[in-house]
Amino acid sequence: MGCGSSFPDRESGQLGRPNSENGGGQDAKNLRVKLVLLGDSGVGKSCIVLRFVRGQFDPTSKVTVGASFLSQTIALQDSTTVKFEIWDTAGQERYAALAPLYYRGASVAVIVYDITSPESFSKAQYWVKELQKHGSPDIVMALVGNKADLHEKREVAVQDGMDYSEKNGMFFIETSAKTADNINELFEEIAKRLPRPPVT
Amino acid sequence: MEVSIRNHPLWATATEQDIDCAMEGLEKYIMTKLFSRTFCTSLEEAKVNHEISEKIKLLQTFLKPQHLDIQPVLHNESSWLLAEKELQKMNAFKAPQEKLSSIMNCCRVINNLLLNDAMSEHVPAGADDFLPLLIYVTIKANPPMLHSNLKFIKLYRRQTKLISEAEYYFTNLVSAKTFIIDLNAKSLSMDEIKFEECMQEAKLANKLTNESHSTCQMKHQEKNDCMLSIKMHNKVLDFDVLQDGSNYPYMEAKSKDLEMEDVDILLHHYKDLVSKHTRLCKAINCLPVLEKESLLRQIEMHGNSTNTNDQTTSQ
Repeated sequence: MGCGSSFPDRESGQLGRPNSENGGGQDAKNLRVKLVLLGDSGVGKSCIVLRFVRGQFDPTSKVTVGASFLSQTIALQDSTTVKFEIWDTAGQERYAALAPLYYRGASVAVIVYDITSPESFSKAQYWVKELQKHGSPDIVMALVGNKADLHEKREVAVQDGMDYSEKNGMFFIETSAKTADNINELFEEIAKRLPRPPVT
Repeated sequence: MEVSIRNHPLWATATEQDIDCAMEGLEKYIMTKLFSRTFCTSLEEAKVNHEISEKIKLLQTFLKPQHLDIQPVLHNESSWLLAEKELQKMNAFKAPQEKLSSIMNCCRVINNLLLNDAMSEHVPAGADDFLPLLIYVTIKANPPMLHSNLKFIKLYRRQTKLISEAEYYFTNLVSAKTFIIDLNAKSLSMDEIKFEECMQEAKLANKLTNESHSTCQMKHQEKNDCMLSIKMHNKVLDFDVLQDGSNYPYMEAKSKDLEMEDVDILLHHYKDLVSKHTRLCKAINCLPVLEKESLLRQIEMHGNSTNTNDQTTSQ
């Protein structure tokens, strides 16, 4: 097993860049952003990320240690880059109490539900409330209705998602990890909404 | 520290990698030297370690993968064992970076298992599958001093290194620890009454093994057991002989005084002694720990006083 060898290298490379040390990665041109994924188990959290990171539904290429932590850098039109470090969380009810350990210090929370499951939609609302109470105050939140390709099984109306997110000042989008619909749009929109450190 | 290295003329030509290596070496050196003063320094911390480990011991007796809803396709004893071994190594290292890399290695094994499964099933595995496996492996491994090791990494691993992926997997182990501490009947896919029963049973069994462990120690630690029994043998023997020395006329005898016919008598005495000794040991082993200790103390005191008597009489 390649015990950590690939991983310190990558980090030291990152350290090598000027102004990007000390955790935050908050230099004006290259942001490093912690993004936490919340949502019921089975709504397709990890599928969305895999789609975004690997551009494919099938996770056969080994990039990092595993699929529950992935990172991807995107370049924006204003020639800045955003490196998303995506933290997946276990969606089962019994692990709900552990979520604060994961969303602590996150600048983005993506809350996912399944448009064919009203339960997952109410679970998503629970996460929104929890983050409003305990998350960092300037956290960027996105509500995502996944499995949009399954129209015929839809049980949560687009309007419901839209209304709820509008009320809570969040960004809303419906995606399909299966067809890749709106996946890149989701992350690009998040990148645009991130608070920027002042350019010196 | 990093700043002073960077500003020092000796390091003026060093690359980023050189400086990073120097910092890693420095962390390892300093933390290894300071280990005894920085690792698990308070009684409360030791207590937390002990409590976690005891709880895990109870859970080990009945917890099955299905109680954490681990999918049957992920049941892979050899992978689990490998992951457990990696996790157990954590406590053997002194440097924070080495402890952290034990965690990473453990998570890597679990992820390989998930990846292999994902390749065969074409269903991507995320944290929904990862965390339950890590919790299960942690319970199976019962890594020594879990709480202290995590605290030590958090406090002493360079902050610029406890980020991104390392931070994520570290957080997962913290979260596994938290889950285990808070674990109750509602945390598992298991009937609540059944859970309480299993815990009670495990506690009882645990108590029994603890007691037998300290009283007879026979099954588990043969070597210690030997030592104890020899010690006890000597004490009991002294006690017996000195109380009723007339039964053992050969106490003062020298080997050159012995004759062939003595062998029979000696053998008879030997057998007698052994059977008495065995019975006594058995009786003492059945006593509760406290009583046994006080008895041994008494024997010891008695032995000392008779020894001094011996000395005075022989003088």
